[in-house]
Amino acid sequence: MALKKENNVLLHLENVWKIYRMGEVEVPALQGVSVEIKKGDFVAIIGASGSGKSTMMNLIGCLDIPSRGSVYLKSQDISKLGESDLASLRGKTIGFIFQQYNLIPSMSAFENVVLPLEFLEYDDREAAKRAREILISVGLGDKMHHRPAQLSGGQQQRVSIARSLAGDPEIILADEPTGALDSVAGIEVLSMLHRLWKEQGKTIIMVTHNLNLAKYAHTTIELKDGQITKISENDE
Amino acid sequence: MKLEKCFMYAFNMALHSKLRSWLTILGIVIGVAAVIAIVSIGEGMQQSMTAQLSGLGGDIVTISPGFSRGAGMFVMRGGGGEGGFSGGAQATDKEIVLSRSDLQALKGIPDIALIDTNIRGSVEVSYRGKSGKVSLTGVDQKVWSQITTSEIKNGRMLDSADQNVIVIGGRLASSYFDQPIGINKMITIEGSAFRVVGILDDQSTNIYMPIQMAYQVIEDKKNGIYDSFVVKIKNEDQLDEVIAKIENKLMTARHVTQKDRDFSVSSSRQFQQTRAEALSSLNAFLVAIAAVSLIVGAVGIANTMFTSVLEKTKEIGIMKAIGARNHDILLIFMFNAGFIGLVGGIIGIILGTILSGFMPALMGNLPIMRGTAIVSLNSIIMALSVSVTVGVLAGVIPAYQASKLKPVDALRYE
Ligand SMILES: Nc1ncnc2c1ncn2[C@@H]1O[C@H](COP(=O)(O)OP(=O)(O)O)[C@@H](O)[C@H]1O
Ligand SMILES: [Mg+2]
Repeated sequence: MALKKENNVLLHLENVWKIYRMGEVEVPALQGVSVEIKKGDFVAIIGASGSGKSTMMNLIGCLDIPSRGSVYLKSQDISKLGESDLASLRGKTIGFIFQQYNLIPSMSAFENVVLPLEFLEYDDREAAKRAREILISVGLGDKMHHRPAQLSGGQQQRVSIARSLAGDPEIILADEPTGALDSVAGIEVLSMLHRLWKEQGKTIIMVTHNLNLAKYAHTTIELKDGQITKISENDE
Repeated sequence: MKLEKCFMYAFNMALHSKLRSWLTILGIVIGVAAVIAIVSIGEGMQQSMTAQLSGLGGDIVTISPGFSRGAGMFVMRGGGGEGGFSGGAQATDKEIVLSRSDLQALKGIPDIALIDTNIRGSVEVSYRGKSGKVSLTGVDQKVWSQITTSEIKNGRMLDSADQNVIVIGGRLASSYFDQPIGINKMITIEGSAFRVVGILDDQSTNIYMPIQMAYQVIEDKKNGIYDSFVVKIKNEDQLDEVIAKIENKLMTARHVTQKDRDFSVSSSRQFQQTRAEALSSLNAFLVAIAAVSLIVGAVGIANTMFTSVLEKTKEIGIMKAIGARNHDILLIFMFNAGFIGLVGGIIGIILGTILSGFMPALMGNLPIMRGTAIVSLNSIIMALSVSVTVGVLAGVIPAYQASKLKPVDALRYE
């Protein structure tokens, strides 16, 4: 297999197809996508709306399995894993940041951040300590017991960043993380991701259609109609 | 996720659920309240019945003429002292009677301690110008006081030396005539005067007098002919054997066989059993009704759970994205359902307890319901475990569905 040659390949998509079936109609959202993502990279996936960015994200994040082809995460073929193993792998390796934040509305910021640690069966005290530290590091030390509805969009997205970091994952996946934010809050979130990449060595994969934000990334993957049209690296 | 965390999460979820979903627990509440009320009334009845019947004595056997090959309890009557049960069967047939030779036969059974001989009839009584018809029982005054289960309220029972004296029922004394009848008052029965020596602690209008006097007062009753014998046996544990002996002896004495038997032997214990059986089938019926409402409650919870799974679809997607496994989701939703069931059960128990407090008042007129409703620990434990089980069972399918949701699909749900 190709990925063996370079050991720092974290994610590998091999001729991946994703075909959605809507009754009689088949929608090919991804058509033979192959790409390798290295450990410690900051990748931006760009493309027009409907080009298949989210579909690709879902496959990378093990939230879905391909119709054809294979997705390897840390050399494991995810379509060969059972639901339980997949969930554990996801919990340990990947942190998600969504456009709509996707926080649990009935829980405080603190509880939202603790939740993934509970799925990982962390010790209570350790989980609480970790959640507190991370919330402080994203600048929400004074808002820990606020519910999502009591926070601004930018603050909610920071809670969601904190949640994605809780399990100390290698990979952070962000699907249009600034899509719902104004430009100031958007840049704030982006610089936060940038710092995670630079200072903590996280692998960051971000979907965006804002080319200005894509400039923060190291590698840019362009999608069009479910196919990769260009992969460029920014080495300044 | 650890079990207690699943539980906490389910608890949290229930706390934050909408009023609408709480309303659907009404089915469980009503079901449990009904079960509690019904069971407590049942237990109340049982207790009051045991209290009533234990007074009858397990060692008393009544022999009366006539035999019916049907359901026994309505014919095997004519209990000696307790007018409460007497009715249709008293000396219906001129030909079928109990006689002195039957009495002799009974006297030959060593297991019998005492024999009371009774005759019964309806008589004209008058007191201070008012009159009426009441039933009169002639008893063997030498043994009656030892056999009867009636209690004396005022005065005394009959005793061996008595002649023109009577003991009367509580209601006859207190309210049958315009004026209450007191001890040592004279009342007129079929033209002869009798002195009241005792008043019973009951609600009857019966009159008890020595049998020799009764033969003179009641029309058509000849000396040596009896309406019933009431016997007390020596050893209560041998009740069934003694009944068999009595039957055999009497069949021989009366020259009849099992087929053309013309007398009945009954014990209060049989009566007790028949009544208990009737009561327990009544109970079973009521419990069945309650069970139906519990099923309705279960459907309600299932409905709540289905709705809640729909409402939580997005949340389920989020949780799966951040590492929840299928069985974490399953457990959370099962706990949630069980918790809703538990809350429904607790409210139901409170409601049922309040309800059962009112029940005796509502049912006060039924003779069967003299006791108070009793909410026992057993029925509480039963109700709680039933409601939790019902909740969990109702939650199984929706919870399973929730756990099987694909993370992508769940996340897309709005
Ligand atoms: N669950 C789905 N069912 C059917 N079609 C889908 C589904 N998800 C995405 N699609 C279709 O697949 C294509 C790619 O969608 P998506 O990956 O969401 O694009 P993007 O995120 O780049 O806007 C679109 O045409 C979209 O309509
Ligand atoms: Mg998208």
